[in-house]
Amino acid sequence: MDDPIRTREFLERLERGDKIEATDWMPSEYRDLLIKQIHMHGISEIMGAYPEKEWVPKAPTIRRKLALNAKVQDEIGHGQMLLRLAEDLSRPYGRGREALMDDVIAGRVKFHNVFHMAAPTWADAGVIGFLVDGGAIITQAMLLDSSYAPYARMLKRIVAEESFHMQHGESVVLALAEGTEAQRSMLQEAINRWWEPMMFFFGPREMGRGSQRMMEYKIRTLTNEELRQKFINRYVPRVRALGLTLPDPKLKQDPATGLWEYTDPDWDWFNRMVRDNSGPMSQARIALRRFAHEEQRWVREAVRRASDELARLPGA
Amino acid sequence: MTSSEYPVYEVFGQKDRLSFHTHVGSIRAPNPEMALQMAREAFFRREAVVDIWVVPQDAIYSAARDPAYLPAIGDDKKYRLPSGYDNAPHWKRFKAKAMTIEEVAEEMTAKRR
Repeated sequence: MDDPIRTREFLERLERGDKIEATDWMPSEYRDLLIKQIHMHGISEIMGAYPEKEWVPKAPTIRRKLALNAKVQDEIGHGQMLLRLAEDLSRPYGRGREALMDDVIAGRVKFHNVFHMAAPTWADAGVIGFLVDGGAIITQAMLLDSSYAPYARMLKRIVAEESFHMQHGESVVLALAEGTEAQRSMLQEAINRWWEPMMFFFGPREMGRGSQRMMEYKIRTLTNEELRQKFINRYVPRVRALGLTLPDPKLKQDPATGLWEYTDPDWDWFNRMVRDNSGPMSQARIALRRFAHEEQRWVREAVRRASDELARLPGA
Repeated sequence: MTSSEYPVYEVFGQKDRLSFHTHVGSIRAPNPEMALQMAREAFFRREAVVDIWVVPQDAIYSAARDPAYLPAIGDDKKYRLPSGYDNAPHWKRFKAKAMTIEEVAEEMTAKRR
């Protein structure tokens, strides 16, 4: 049980707008919420690289190939940076990189629903940059003001790189929108595929207890519904401007409140998918991670042992 | 498998020769050479740097662990700051203009035309 006096002092710090560092005392609930959030975020960055990686060899031009490759590299880099933060927080539990990665393979950590889905066409690669990165940027921009300083600092770096992802995704989408009828209909189909997953992306209308506590601890500052509304408000006019449609007949903005009405995604189906890793591509992508993590373990081990041996040599 | 964990290195990058090395984050690596390579891949794919430092995390001793080492700002330290001196109205009385160090620096570093 946490010391009630220290807990009260901690809450007063948050109230003053003070930021928390990794080495500061924190209530275990704050630590655990941060670990859950940052672990899931880091793993989602890594799993998010897979649907796009599939398109690197099939990208239509060398420039697109280079850009997509750079983006995949960014996502893996973001994953590494975020996992470092989760590791620092997990120190009292004695859990490091290996354990946090084992969790993916054992299904103990979730990743974003969108990365369980298939990306069957080149338009999907573009729409992932356009809508999925667009949604991620909205969430991450909110976290720039997080009470946990190492997370907020790292997000500043991440958001700067995401801005390239956004431009890149829009560039692919625009090229298709300006293209032939076949290209436009490929784009329309990709938007149709990704819209419902994006409605799920921001989480339930009524936030769970954990998310509510994250608001109280100022780890995050906006509700799921506020984020989703901001997303709809930004992207519906843009999709319609391209002369394309959204696969939701209920989409309508209330002129008085500015709030959007929308059809709920199939909450049960998506929830089951992220919980059980039962999406169309969940197992295939976890298999790639298992290959990288488990079957390459001997390489990491060999380098570590060689480094230790060298360090022990006289004169080292 | 905590024993097989790579050590953590804190990463610092120097933007140009006249900038200080700035902390950007941390990485895990089995040795300093690999740490440099990992640091370059993780943090410097776009921005140019003229130097990268990697420092074993446990080599860093932070003042935040003991606030006694932190400076006590808050008392009046205006006498240490340029803003603590309001010379402009006085110069004006002598029909001369106040000068700032920025102006001097600008003149001294301005490219010759």
